[in-house]
Amino acid sequence: MESQRVEPVIKFALLEDILNLARANSLWPMTFGLACCAIEMMAAGASRFDLDRFGAGVFRPSPRQSDVMIVAGTISKKMAPAIQMLWEQMPNPKWCIAMGNCAISGGPFEYDGQYAIVPGAHLIVPVDITVPGCPPRPEGLIQGILALEDKITGGEHRNYLRRFRRMGGRG
Amino acid sequence: MAEQFQEPVVEQIYTLNLGPQHPSTHGVLRVLLDLDGEFIIKADPVIGYGHRGHEKMAENRTYKQFMPNSSRMDYLSGLLYNHGFVLAVERFAGVEVPERAKYIRVICAELNRISSHLLWFGTYIMDLGGFTPFLYCFDDRENILDILDRVTGSRLTYSYCRFGGVNRDLDGEFISMTRAFIERLRSRWTDYHNLVTKNVIFIHRTRDVGVITPELARQYGVVGPNLRACGIPFDVRKSEPYEVYDRFDFVIPTGTKGDALDRYNVRLEEMEQSCRIIEQALDQLPEGPHINEVAPFKVKPPRGEIYFAFESARGLTAYYLVSDGSPYPYRCHIRVPSFGNLQVLTEVFRGTLVADAISILGSIDVVIPEIDR
Amino acid sequence: MSNRETITQKLQAMLPADDVCRDESCQAGVLFSAQVPLAKLRDAMKECDTAGYYLESITALDFEDTFELVYHLNCYEPRARVAVRVLCGHDQSPATVSDIFPSALWQEREVHDFFGIEFVGSPDMRPLLMPEDADCYPLRKTFGKVYAYHKRDEIYG
Repeated sequence: MESQRVEPVIKFALLEDILNLARANSLWPMTFGLACCAIEMMAAGASRFDLDRFGAGVFRPSPRQSDVMIVAGTISKKMAPAIQMLWEQMPNPKWCIAMGNCAISGGPFEYDGQYAIVPGAHLIVPVDITVPGCPPRPEGLIQGILALEDKITGGEHRNYLRRFRRMGGRG
Repeated sequence: MAEQFQEPVVEQIYTLNLGPQHPSTHGVLRVLLDLDGEFIIKADPVIGYGHRGHEKMAENRTYKQFMPNSSRMDYLSGLLYNHGFVLAVERFAGVEVPERAKYIRVICAELNRISSHLLWFGTYIMDLGGFTPFLYCFDDRENILDILDRVTGSRLTYSYCRFGGVNRDLDGEFISMTRAFIERLRSRWTDYHNLVTKNVIFIHRTRDVGVITPELARQYGVVGPNLRACGIPFDVRKSEPYEVYDRFDFVIPTGTKGDALDRYNVRLEEMEQSCRIIEQALDQLPEGPHINEVAPFKVKPPRGEIYFAFESARGLTAYYLVSDGSPYPYRCHIRVPSFGNLQVLTEVFRGTLVADAISILGSIDVVIPEIDR
Repeated sequence: MSNRETITQKLQAMLPADDVCRDESCQAGVLFSAQVPLAKLRDAMKECDTAGYYLESITALDFEDTFELVYHLNCYEPRARVAVRVLCGHDQSPATVSDIFPSALWQEREVHDFFGIEFVGSPDMRPLLMPEDADCYPLRKTFGKVYAYHKRDEIYG
């Protein structure tokens, strides 16, 4: 499915960059679990892995308040319309992470004659980042979120906040 | 609160759609609630949002190929499901298992049971509005996952058991880590009780809430900790001992009233009993091979059927396998505990408040993809 | 007398001796297995209900010549599981037992989802696990890729 994002006619490059920097470093994911991967998503947000370190730990229970949808688990045909509706309820700008093999391509459940699942989140929502694994470890999800941050800022070298932190500064 | 509920006189019934995407429904459960003010008149759970067709997949795969599926049904106690499936096929096909492997399986399965209960504990208290215990539980749970990760190579969806043994042997490091963990977990009980069990708000939100009577439990086939909370000491590990569970000394914790507080207490006590089983198994752990090397590579059970029941973290679970003598199961049905445990909610929700409904739903401990399969 | 003895005697009295089978060792997980004719299904289930049993699972098996419904019942005693088996032709409809065991309601809906077996007298036959617009019965052997489709005697004969 093609991305539905509408590009503005006039762009303010510097302002966009600053805004993107802010967006990238305060991602608000939606509390939204479908299956096994949701447990690893919870683990990523809990004590040891602590997504808050990357500004992405504020799990919002409502699509209206969130800007990242983490599709964590198998998408059944019954659930697919609900996911589409949630995606449409999220305000722009918004991003989607397909977490786990099921959300990427149907994973272990895709076989000849499968009747119950949608093989891949990309068939119903535009996916920005895929995190493979069955389920991915929390480290994997964190890497995915960092990759999304880089995508938002337009490359790791432009994520000035992270560069600043790496050089020993406190963010 | 039930005594304040009266049959609605005014025809002003509000239908509330709880889920399928809702932070407190534990996965993709959807409940249609008919409300009279704050009271629930009728609850109609709608399930199937996690249906993946495991049973059809089983018919398309050999027994060995189906093994990874077994741990993805109930992902919180994946090893227990994996263990149960392997036991069912072993008994069906008559595969011998070395003693050491039996003990290893029991140790890992009980560790998984503790991790499942810990996760339930954290999320339940989070549903009730307390975030701190969630972080405590996940801290402890990560320790179990480290231990299991070390030996199984996976954090959540284990395919550790093999027909005739286990994949990898335990080492000294595993044993010392497990012992250290049990010691640590026991020292944490004080924290848990201080944080939660003695908390007035918690007690008010759970005592006398969501009472399941023994008769109601029987009618709906409620099993596991929810059944034991009504005072019926029924546990497959005792009633039909499989593996080596008959060699351990443990008790079945029971409640008296069958309310949410009893279910909470039963689960907490069960974790302690699991610790006892693990300690005894570690003490008795025999030397020897961890896998039966002469076990057939391709499992072909004889024609016929088997119904194998075991105790997962949520109660009596059973694999019903029918074989036509080929390496593919002719039919594989999985009896899941959450099915009955969730269905009883249609009765229990009647006449409760919406806020209590969240508390009841959490205390039942359902895993939706397990029901949907 | 314990529940398991009560139910064994009652079912034995109800059915011809060839149709019941008792296995003390529970090797297949079932103590007592009874082949019940379709018309007597509700009677047998009522006996189980009065004997203090609960319904554990309902499932169906698809054979070339017939469906077979298998009801597993259990009570809170060691090794007491009872299997009630009913042969049900591809064009027959069994009676519902959801008024005897409330838990049967969902399980019958599930069997209906997967096999397309209608239960006569059931108050609710909406799809349970499948989407509401589903038009297939996935667990029938005629659906999808088929590895084996046998007559009943080839497995149990």
